[in-house]
Formats: sequence, structure tokens, C-alpha cells
Amino acid sequence: MMKKLLALTMAVLMVLSLAACGNQNDAQPTDAAVQTDAAPTDGTEAPAESDLAYVQGKGTLVVGITDFAPMDYQDDNGEWIGFDADMAKAFAEDLGVDVSFQEINWDNKVMELNSKNVDCLWNGMTLTDEVTSSMACSTPYSTNAQVLVVPADKAADFEGLTTLEGLSIAVESGSAGQAAAEALGATTVPVQSQANTLMEVSAGTSDAAVIDLLMAGAMIGEGTSYANLTYTMNLNTMQGEADEVYGVGFRTGSDLVDAYNNFWDAALASGLAMETATTYGVQESIIQ
Amino acid sequence: MFAFFSSPTTQTVLSALNEGFVRTLELFFITLVGAVPLGLLIALGSMNRWAPLHRFARPKQSKALRAVLNFRPVSAICRLLVWIIRGTPLVLQIITLFYVPGLEHLFNWPSGESGRMMAVCIAFIINYACYFSEIYRGGIQGVPVGQQEAGLVLGMTRSQIFFKVTLLQMIKRIVPPMSNEVITLVKDTSLARVIALQEIIWMGESFMKGNRGISGLVWPLFFTAVYYLVFSGVVTLLLGRLEKKLEFFR
Repeated sequence: MMKKLLALTMAVLMVLSLAACGNQNDAQPTDAAVQTDAAPTDGTEAPAESDLAYVQGKGTLVVGITDFAPMDYQDDNGEWIGFDADMAKAFAEDLGVDVSFQEINWDNKVMELNSKNVDCLWNGMTLTDEVTSSMACSTPYSTNAQVLVVPADKAADFEGLTTLEGLSIAVESGSAGQAAAEALGATTVPVQSQANTLMEVSAGTSDAAVIDLLMAGAMIGEGTSYANLTYTMNLNTMQGEADEVYGVGFRTGSDLVDAYNNFWDAALASGLAMETATTYGVQESIIQ
Repeated sequence: MFAFFSSPTTQTVLSALNEGFVRTLELFFITLVGAVPLGLLIALGSMNRWAPLHRFARPKQSKALRAVLNFRPVSAICRLLVWIIRGTPLVLQIITLFYVPGLEHLFNWPSGESGRMMAVCIAFIINYACYFSEIYRGGIQGVPVGQQEAGLVLGMTRSQIFFKVTLLQMIKRIVPPMSNEVITLVKDTSLARVIALQEIIWMGESFMKGNRGISGLVWPLFFTAVYYLVFSGVVTLLLGRLEKKLEFFR
């Protein structure tokens, strides 16, 4: 009796789990079917069909972001605004689709993109070698620099340094700041986010931190928990290198890149880009 | 102190933390509701003695052949599942369940917060069901055989014996170890932030980097401890009361 009962329940459970998979496929009949048939599972991630057609087919452009003023952040009503957010809205309108902003864990950005949980990464993303090799990137639209954040009372000790050797520097794991700090000979302490690097410096567990200039402006100083911190040097200048650039990331091989580049050229020509940039105070950084 | 709690910044932070905590609670309760019965199913599965080839087994056959003939497929599958789930980190299971279907073009999770919540709930239910199943198994096997024999003597059917004798006594035995797992679950929910489910720790951390126009605040992260302590306190009290209520047969 028990055996039969159990065998029956197990069978029902299996059928249910299969049915659950089936429903998932039914929800997106076209792309799921095409993908399973056509996509090779050799890890090349090249979309089997036009990515633009895929996004237009489902009617929504899902933009992968983190809360990063002044590029992507929420206003008092919880709506996403910022230079990147506003441009993303304009781009979606240009494509004739809705836009949806999805906060993601930045460490997993490539997986988010390739698993189609988001359609693009548009969040003041520095175009490092790591980024450009793992996704299709747009032409750069903005410049950025990496700065050294230090305790305000020790700022004088860091003046005029030409190397970071012997210092332990907190950096965001996998960030452009980590690459810059390591190039200057620092011992890096990789942590989860740029915000966590500041906690390291504040708690005295690291000597200094390297973060984006745009972020440093928003996160430290008066009115924050980090009033005792200040930022001093531009690491890009220190290395004698040009400033970094921001770009938008799409799936490898995606035709959305061309769509975006055309959109961006048009936005520059019409003045929309500079107008939006001025709203958020980033007009100095925009690449024309 | 009052000024601190009435300031607009604090109000904003607390409302965000509340929002995150609601998601934490949602995950907690869905996991319990799903994992408690699924765990029993897995426990029964791993104790299942069904061996389809058993009838061909003879005492004189070689050891290897008898092992094949006495193979119990249901039990083997359940134990394999328990081994895999208990043997790998929950955080890896969450990442796998959420990203691999999309990466391998199997299916896509619903877009937005709901898809993330669904994936994380399924990962938690399977994970906790496996832990629960071993507790159930211990509880069921800990009920003296004499109890079942007594049931047989009284003319009860096997299902009557299971539900009215074994299961009844098993429940009171498993309350302390189950309490342990449930309290662990309260805190394990924080792992969901790895796929950007905005539960309370995510919300607490978000104010360091910037959220709702506030950035560079550290205290919200540490303040989340208050929520966890209060909630696990309530859960502890409730489970303690349940344990007292089940103090029969003694």
C-alpha cells in the first residue's frame, strides 16, 4: 500500500516538474523554441537570431543596472532616473519597446547578459579589456577616472606619490580600479562593491581605496558616513595614461550595438544627449 | 534618539529595510510551506525498499550479482539527490538554478523581481527539503519497532500504522532539530542577494553605495541585525510553545 502510494506520488511529482518546464517554454514560445533548436551549446553565446528582433518581439528592453548616481538612481517616486537611465529610456523608445530597469549583482553581469535575464548593461561601465572581451560594447560615450580615497587626516602623506607599493588598497573585485591599483604596485584587497571599499578605509582595515571619480563625488564627504574621507589623486594621470571611457554592453554578436551607435549619433546631433547630460551635471565627461 | 528616528533620512532607510524584510519573510514562509512536505516525500523515498529485481535474488548467487538484484532505485535516487544538495553550497545552487537555464537556452525565468524570487524559492525549497528529509528519517526510524508491531496486533492497516502511530510520535521527536534548521533558514535567506533579490541585507548594503538619493550610510547594514534578532526570537518562542504542546506520551 505504502509503496504504491509512494510510487504514485513520485510519478505525479515528476510529471509536475516536467509540466513546470513546459509552462516556462510556453510563456515564450517563439524564442525558446528557436533557441533550443538552433543555438549550439558550445559556449560561444552567439545569438542564433537577431537580438534586436528578439527584444522587439518581447516588447521590453531589460536594462541591467546598479544604483549609481548620477548615472542610474531612483527619484522620490521610485522611478529610475540619471544620465544612463534617461538615455536608456530614449533608446527603448527609439526601438519601439518598453524599458525595464533591473538591479543586478555587478559581479554576475556577464551571466545576467548571456542568460538573457537582462538585455544590456548600462551603468557607467568602464570599458576594460575584461569587459570588451566578454560582451559586445558600444562606442564610448563618457570619460571617467579612478581616484584614490584616503582618510582626510592622512591626505598629506599621500601627496605626490608615484607608486602605491607597500600600501594595502581596497578595490571592487574585478573593477577598473583594481587593475589601476595593481599596475601601480599596490597590494589590493578585493571586496564586493565600491561601497565596501570605503568601509575598509573608514574602519582602518585598508590604507586607501580606489573607486570611480563619479562615485567618489557622491559617496564621501559632508553628510555621508564617510565625512572623514577624501579623494586625492587621479590614478590614470599617475600612470601617464588617458582617462577611461564608459560604454554600454550587449550580448556578444548582438545587432543592438549598431542600433545603439546609430541612436547615440542621432542623440548627439539633435542635442538630446548634451541636454540630458547637463541635467545630471556630467556634460564635461561626454564624448562628442 | 527620537530626533534620529524621526529624521526623514531614517524614515526612508527604515521603509526600504521594511520592504526588504517583507521579501525576506516571503522567502522564509514559502520555503517552509514547500520544504516541510517535500522533505517528508524525500524521507519516504530514501527509506523505500522497492527493489524490482529482488525476486530473482537467490542466496547462492555471487555478492556482486545480489547487489544488482537488490538495487533499490527510488531509494538510490533520493539519496543521490540528498548527497548532491547537502554536498554543495546553497549559494552555488541558487546561482546555478537562476543562470544555467538561460545560459544553456533551456528556458528563461520571468523577467523582473518575480523571476528572481521564483528561482530563489525553488532553490531554497529543494535545499531545505533535503535537510528536513534526513531529520524526518531519523525521527521515523527512532520510533521503536514495537510500536508498529503493536499496531499490527490491533489490526491496523499499514497506512493507519504509519499516520496514527509512527508519524505522530515522529513529529514530537523532530521538533528540536527542526527548530535548529528553521532558525538557520531565517538567516540563510540573506544568500538570495547573490542573484540580486532585494532582501533586507541587500537593502541595508544599498545605502553605502546609494539608494533613494541616500548614499554613504553604513548603519543600515548593521541595523538589519535588529530585524533578524526580533524575528528569530519570535520563531524561537513559537517553536518552544509547540514543543511543550507535544509533550504527550510521557
